[in-house]
Amino acid sequence: MSEPVIDVSGLTRRFGDNTALDSVSVAMPRGAVYGLVGANGAGKTTLIKHILGLLRAQSGSVRVFGLDPVADPVAVLSRIGYLSEENDLPGWMRVDELIRYSRAFYPAWDDVYAEGLRQSFALDPDAKIKTLSKGQKARAGLLIALAHRPELLVLDEPSSGLDPIVRRDILGAVIRTIADEGRTVLFSSHLLGEVEQVADHVTMINRGKILLSAALETIREMHRVDGRVLSLDEIFVARVGTSAAAAEV
Amino acid sequence: MHSPVAAFAWEFRQRHRWGLIAIVVYLIVLAAIKLVILAHDFPIDFDSAETFAFVFVLPVSSYFTYFIAVFTFGLDGDITARQSMYPARMFTRPVSSAALAWWPMFFGAVASVILWTATRLLALWPSSIVVPVVWPGFLAVVLLAWAQALTWMPYGLSGVRVIAVILWLTAIDIIVILAIHFRASESLMIAFLLPQIPLAYLVARYAVARARRGDVPDWSGAFTWFARIAGVSRLRRDFPSAARAQAWFEWRLSGKSLPVWVAIILPFDLLLFWVAGTSTLLVIELLIGVLLIPIIIATFAAATVSKPSVDVSDSYGLPPFMATRPLTNAQLIAAKLKTTLASTALTWLLIIVAVPIALEWSGEMPLVVDRSHRFAQTVGTPRAVVFLLLVVAAFIASTWKQLVQTLYIGLTGRAWLIKGSIFVTLTLLFLIGPVAEWIIDTQRLGRLWSALPLIFTLLVCVKMSAAVWVATRLYRNRLLTDRVLVAGAACWCVAVFALYGVLVWMLDTPHIPHYLLLLLAILAIPLTRLSAAPLALAWNRHR
Repeated sequence: MSEPVIDVSGLTRRFGDNTALDSVSVAMPRGAVYGLVGANGAGKTTLIKHILGLLRAQSGSVRVFGLDPVADPVAVLSRIGYLSEENDLPGWMRVDELIRYSRAFYPAWDDVYAEGLRQSFALDPDAKIKTLSKGQKARAGLLIALAHRPELLVLDEPSSGLDPIVRRDILGAVIRTIADEGRTVLFSSHLLGEVEQVADHVTMINRGKILLSAALETIREMHRVDGRVLSLDEIFVARVGTSAAAAEV
Repeated sequence: MHSPVAAFAWEFRQRHRWGLIAIVVYLIVLAAIKLVILAHDFPIDFDSAETFAFVFVLPVSSYFTYFIAVFTFGLDGDITARQSMYPARMFTRPVSSAALAWWPMFFGAVASVILWTATRLLALWPSSIVVPVVWPGFLAVVLLAWAQALTWMPYGLSGVRVIAVILWLTAIDIIVILAIHFRASESLMIAFLLPQIPLAYLVARYAVARARRGDVPDWSGAFTWFARIAGVSRLRRDFPSAARAQAWFEWRLSGKSLPVWVAIILPFDLLLFWVAGTSTLLVIELLIGVLLIPIIIATFAAATVSKPSVDVSDSYGLPPFMATRPLTNAQLIAAKLKTTLASTALTWLLIIVAVPIALEWSGEMPLVVDRSHRFAQTVGTPRAVVFLLLVVAAFIASTWKQLVQTLYIGLTGRAWLIKGSIFVTLTLLFLIGPVAEWIIDTQRLGRLWSALPLIFTLLVCVKMSAAVWVATRLYRNRLLTDRVLVAGAACWCVAVFALYGVLVWMLDTPHIPHYLLLLLAILAIPLTRLSAAPLALAWNRHR
């Protein structure tokens, strides 16, 4: 078996008295779509920030492509495409400036693919980022995350608060990326139906602990009730508890 | 809490309770000192200027600065941003814009009046000072009200708020100082100050209403000509490397600030040459003033250099877009340093072109040339030329130094550290006046001169110890390679010895020992704070 793309071992993170991640261990082999699901505040973004090297492991270890993302940010980040939940693209840039600026960082940048994505996302190259709608900003962010054909695509709540058309675009782009052989996608969401559509493997996280991590098919097999396959929503509610799920998901 | 007023009051009290408690404690201490000294005739001289400065001037100035920070909401916002500093979260409260402006102004005014009245009653005033009763309280209210109005106003360019606040408050201060000098009566001072309070309120109300409807002007269009000159017009080329792309990004983010601000202020200063007449001294003073502009502006522009984003008004942390650039921390810092060098060069190019033109057109050039010739005759032409070049180089280097020396604080992304350092700096600025006066008044200049070697030696020890600590951390955290560290140290040593050589040549006098010049050169060349910038960025980027 090949070395996992992401290998997190015994990762614990505390913010004051709050334990955001509690001895989290997860390994993600190459070439599949991983859905990271959990309620708001479960620890999904904290885990992703450790994978990107934006948070330093207080205890435990994080390896991406076998490297420490804090010690070796260039080697790790140049192979990752990342779409942030915060949608923090510089508002003063124009779309074509964003593309030219971003391409300088990635030797594998594919101009034809980038232009294809720009046209399919209907992004005006002359438009300033700050004048784009939330959905268009998400599309612009997705474009620069995908255009260098990253080995690992990390999408942090990519469709949160977006309309169904943008969500379809994002899911479509994810599926196209999967089609590229050997690429890996880590996809966090609290929209479980969305994860169910595209993920091969699901990791459920709650209050900083991994509740469940297995192939989607295995999870479904494990959660049959009277011969009926439960949806991911139902499995999540069963695992986390009705009140927490209803309040937060 | 049954009313918006109570909600406002509760928020101020709850958030700033420790600061308010500290003020109450200070006033209790003042009262205790007064009662103890009056009752027991304690042998402490409160009539001296230095005791008065430390017991009254420094604490009260600090508390008033604190009030400005609290009641302008300056602890929440970013003073350099275009957006209003009034917290946006309060715009959704079901109260009018007039009320949003009024209550913080009202509470600020009450707090300032209480502070003044209490200190007027409790402090032991030197017998040489005639202490007015009412108008200083009004002055505090007016300064705070204008600070509120000007900080809540949205502006069309980043950093304009800083200039507007400083210029306006300084103008009021100068008028008041002149009034004191000419012994204006209390009624006249009140007549000058009182009408400003409603005026400031109206401006504040307008500012809050504008900010509330999201009306933030954008004046950057007015400087497109400048952008074209500076080569920052729209990007239409591809970058040959990631480092070049990042340098472009930094230039667009912060590089323009210094040259644009200087370009705005410079014409007004140059106009003064036309009113200088034939006074050589005045022309020289004006010239020095003009040359100081970039350094002073760079002090404020430095905030934009370390700021990670212009889009969020209260953002200090590194946004994910920046943090996930596949560049090392050293490369990110290098892009900033390149930008500051370009920014400094462009600014000084502007000065070097504009000043001779202004001197020529105003007819003051012959005065300057004549003065230069006389100087050359006195010290010799080579020394005069080197001195002139050294002065210009020192001004340019100081401008760059101002831009980069606070990077190690700004890049930490910790609001408490950034705002704390501003508070400490302001407090130290308040201290400089009284301390300088104390040194001069008490004939301690000679003693200070004698102690200078010891002071310099201590400062050098502190600087070098800090530099060793920073270098060790940089190496251990793999932020810089040993090769870069050694090369950096070698460059620094060369710069120190070069400056030392020039100083020895220029100041060849038995009154100044050479080792003192070496210590001065070591202190003058930036090292520790600059090399701590990658550490600060790493602390911010990998939290």
